[in-house]
Amino acid sequence: MLTKEQLLKPLAGLRGDAVVVTCMSVTRPWGRYSSSELDFASADSAMGHTADLALGIALAQPRRKVICLNGDGSMLMTLGTLATIVDSGAANLVLFVVQNDTYEITGNLPIPAAGRIDFATLARGAGFDRVYSFDRADQYEGRLAEVLSGDGPVFVVVRVEKGSEGPISRTEGEPSRYLRESIADSAHRLRKALELRG
Amino acid sequence: MLSAQLVVQELKVCGLGCVVGLPDNSSAGLIALLRRDDTIRFVEVTREGEAFALASGFWIGGGRAAVLVQNTGLLESGDALRGTAQRMRVPLLCLITYRGYAKMPGPATPAASESSDADVFSKAAVDSAALITEPTLRAWGLPFDWLHSDADLPKISKAFARAQRESRPVALLVTGDMC
Repeated sequence: MLTKEQLLKPLAGLRGDAVVVTCMSVTRPWGRYSSSELDFASADSAMGHTADLALGIALAQPRRKVICLNGDGSMLMTLGTLATIVDSGAANLVLFVVQNDTYEITGNLPIPAAGRIDFATLARGAGFDRVYSFDRADQYEGRLAEVLSGDGPVFVVVRVEKGSEGPISRTEGEPSRYLRESIADSAHRLRKALELRG
Repeated sequence: MLSAQLVVQELKVCGLGCVVGLPDNSSAGLIALLRRDDTIRFVEVTREGEAFALASGFWIGGGRAAVLVQNTGLLESGDALRGTAQRMRVPLLCLITYRGYAKMPGPATPAASESSDADVFSKAAVDSAALITEPTLRAWGLPFDWLHSDADLPKISKAFARAQRESRPVALLVTGDMC
């Protein structure tokens, strides 16, 4: 099982100019490793709709990689999105499911089928051709460059330790820069940043 | 009945790159045309809530999108609409096909107090989805208008212009089949 640092730090080093969309318990930790204007926190938004939001960005930006760090509980809320992603053929989308088997930011209550659900099998069943599953940091770090290269869509499930991240406030008190503005401001800022980069 | 071909032309006037939705009887003809279109991509979702998040993401990515769902799917989409397009202030055209419109008893816009009557909801002759569509749009703060015939189609570009001007989703209720 990985720590969040073991998950996020190598990813921050290899993401290049990809858009990174975070949600739930990795939102605040991601801000410790990245302050890119291409980061977007799907926080204070709609529960369970991070992967589909990221898919939309990927379809509008087909020449740019889009990395989505989805939660396991969030993924369960919209499992159909796995089929939508495959059907869309979004070759630039890399969808992570960060599996800690709990709704961490609401107090670590277990997700349905905690400890039994197999997201990699669900992804393969939905039609993903490239599916990775990691529960050891050395294996993950050794293959991360491969995960992020080539055509997708790519599905990655990473087992991480339970944490104690609390709810996200989107106020000046948040340590991460990308959480100190409203989600509307974040959305408009990211659109502008992508326009400027062409 | 509305001309699906003319609807596509209006969507092109808006400069849309993507329509996200889920087919129903009223939209099937339009979707068949969009699937063959070179400039507007149709993305099919598995549940309507996805459509609002996906279309919002498409806008963040620099595109212009519309959502095409039935009113039943709109009702399913409440939190997705609230938490993405509305919360993020996305200029989004929402085409909502109006199941049950023809069977509506009396005025098309019953007061909320009327629609809370349990007897009304259970009457076989009444489509309860239609009954609560407009009160729901009002409650959610979503501006809307109706597309009854081809004469109404210029409302599409007007609605999208308003969505852009006010940075918000705007809905059009489509009361006939698009063929």
